[in-house]
Amino acid sequence: MIYGNKKSGVLVQGATGKQGEFHIGLMNAYAKQIGGRGVVAGVTPGKGGKEVHGVPVYNTVKEAMRDHDISAGIIFVPAAAAADAIMEEAHAGIPAIVAITEHIPVHDSMKAIAYATMEGCSVIGPNCPGLLSPGEIKMGIMPAGLFSRGKVGVISRSGTLTYEVVDELTRAGIGQSTVVGIGGDPVIGQTFVDVLERFGNDPQTKAVVLIGEVGGNLEEEGAKSTDLPIVSYIAGISAPPDKRMGHAGAIVEGGEGDARSKIARLKKIGVPVASRPSEIPQMVRDLFRDHC
Amino acid sequence: MKLREYEAKKLIREYGIPVPAGFLIRSVHELPAHLNELGDNIVLKAQVDVGGRGKAGGILMADTKNAVATAQVLFEKEIKGLPVREILAEQRLDILHEYYLSVTVDRSSRRPLILFTEAGGVDIEITAREHPEEIRKVIANPLMRDIPPFMIRELVGTAPKEIGPIINKLYRVFVEKDALLAEINPLVTTPQGVYAADAKLIVDDNALGRQGFTVNRDLTEREREAEKHGFSYVELQGAIGVIGNGAGLTMSTLDLIGFYGGKAANFLDVGGGAESERVMHAVRLVGSLPSVKVIVVNLLGGITKCDEVAKGIIAADIPQKVIVRLAGTNEAEGRAMLAEKGYEMLDTMDLVVKKAVEVAA
Repeated sequence: MIYGNKKSGVLVQGATGKQGEFHIGLMNAYAKQIGGRGVVAGVTPGKGGKEVHGVPVYNTVKEAMRDHDISAGIIFVPAAAAADAIMEEAHAGIPAIVAITEHIPVHDSMKAIAYATMEGCSVIGPNCPGLLSPGEIKMGIMPAGLFSRGKVGVISRSGTLTYEVVDELTRAGIGQSTVVGIGGDPVIGQTFVDVLERFGNDPQTKAVVLIGEVGGNLEEEGAKSTDLPIVSYIAGISAPPDKRMGHAGAIVEGGEGDARSKIARLKKIGVPVASRPSEIPQMVRDLFRDHC
Repeated sequence: MKLREYEAKKLIREYGIPVPAGFLIRSVHELPAHLNELGDNIVLKAQVDVGGRGKAGGILMADTKNAVATAQVLFEKEIKGLPVREILAEQRLDILHEYYLSVTVDRSSRRPLILFTEAGGVDIEITAREHPEEIRKVIANPLMRDIPPFMIRELVGTAPKEIGPIINKLYRVFVEKDALLAEINPLVTTPQGVYAADAKLIVDDNALGRQGFTVNRDLTEREREAEKHGFSYVELQGAIGVIGNGAGLTMSTLDLIGFYGGKAANFLDVGGGAESERVMHAVRLVGSLPSVKVIVVNLLGGITKCDEVAKGIIAADIPQKVIVRLAGTNEAEGRAMLAEKGYEMLDTMDLVVKKAVEVAA
């Protein structure tokens, strides 16, 4: 695990909303199954005193922190209020925050992430599915049934594509240490570099699957920063320029960030790149054969 | 959303950045009334939503005598397939030197990035490739309202000092107008002072509402229809329609079509939640593109209810063949419902895509 474990208490902001309520239920079902603490407190301004699936709801993060030992926060609040929610958690001293919310304006994200960084807090997302360390903790919305515990770390800018890859890995008997969805926005808190640094310090993680897509060049920056063996896959080889491919950050602009040149640069630094998701398990096996 | 030049110039002028005297005209008849304010030398610039406008003949030089005739010529042109409905008529500047200035979002530092170069007047991408040392870069702090003076000095270097305040003003525009890009290319010096000869602003699509825009002009009609339902939609050149949940999975499905030798016609990401009605709208929208011969539906997610998806596909009732890959809860029910109506359901994305490529061929 790299951002939390069984002992981590989780706080959910936007606890009384439809999404928040639904996923508190799923996260706590998972925690119960593996013997973790799960979600211990919820926050929705004006709804203090309520309960969601037996979890007490507070008006502010500070109040929740007074009553509970909390080391991770998850944000389901709507885009217009999400940056404020990130800053509230960072200010209260929560060290790791997952921002699920999509459509946060980029300028809000830049401010909230700069502020959180100043407070010594790591932000995963926004516009992400969160993370899951099988057998340890689920912080977000990933479907736990597809996962199995093991030694492969997965980092991805996508949600469902990650589930596809995790499903392939599990079916092939390859377990995961932690799977992190870092988010599909152009500005995200934890990038490939940050998560790879954590994987580098994590004794459980022996290899990493890095799932990227068109837009920017952070996949390459990440791959260069680590000594861990990596298999990569880049989505969007058929994406036309100047079109946003579903994610705000998935866009080839100014001739930059297209999949072909990304793949070429990754291969140049020795990273094997799968041409489709179903090739990944075999490539991971090859990686273990060559490196371990 | 990309603003047109006249909109961008109006905005930056409000922040105190000098722009040439100019007027927007929608027909030649509006031009004569403004001619005495534009001086002898005039430039006519088509306001079309495409890049590379100058090279495509969208900018014409004129003088007081031939301005109306030249504007008539420009109105009758098509620039990269688009009709010219608006022209910005401007005073032509007496340019001494051209600079490049922009503020963008830097993904790596997650902060605003300011670029300035004295080697202006050419394509910035070419300068970046061939003479990267000529581009001065500064990364700003998004928690500060202004750029500190030392950063401005670093950027300006030996260029005229009057450029300093313009940099900070453009930074304010970038921040306060929710821009993803604020660019002045070229920024020019003239005997009368410094001017923004051209201006480009791209506003964050996720901030259009709070910036007072009601529609995103960058979207086609079908894309706008998709947006209403909360879908992401992109049109391409092939014959296979693609529906997926999640941007990454949908993109990957598109790529797999290419891998098996086919071509996708469009891309639709239904996003979160695949209730039957959303799925119905998605299938109908993708099927409404005339070039679509067959549709691949690739939906995955532990919480996607397959029976809901099946209901939506059946309700859409479109003439094209729909091939489905579903993984989630109630899989058996969904499969049975689809099978009863004669739809094909396959287990993996490789299989559905292969099948669709065969059908389209």
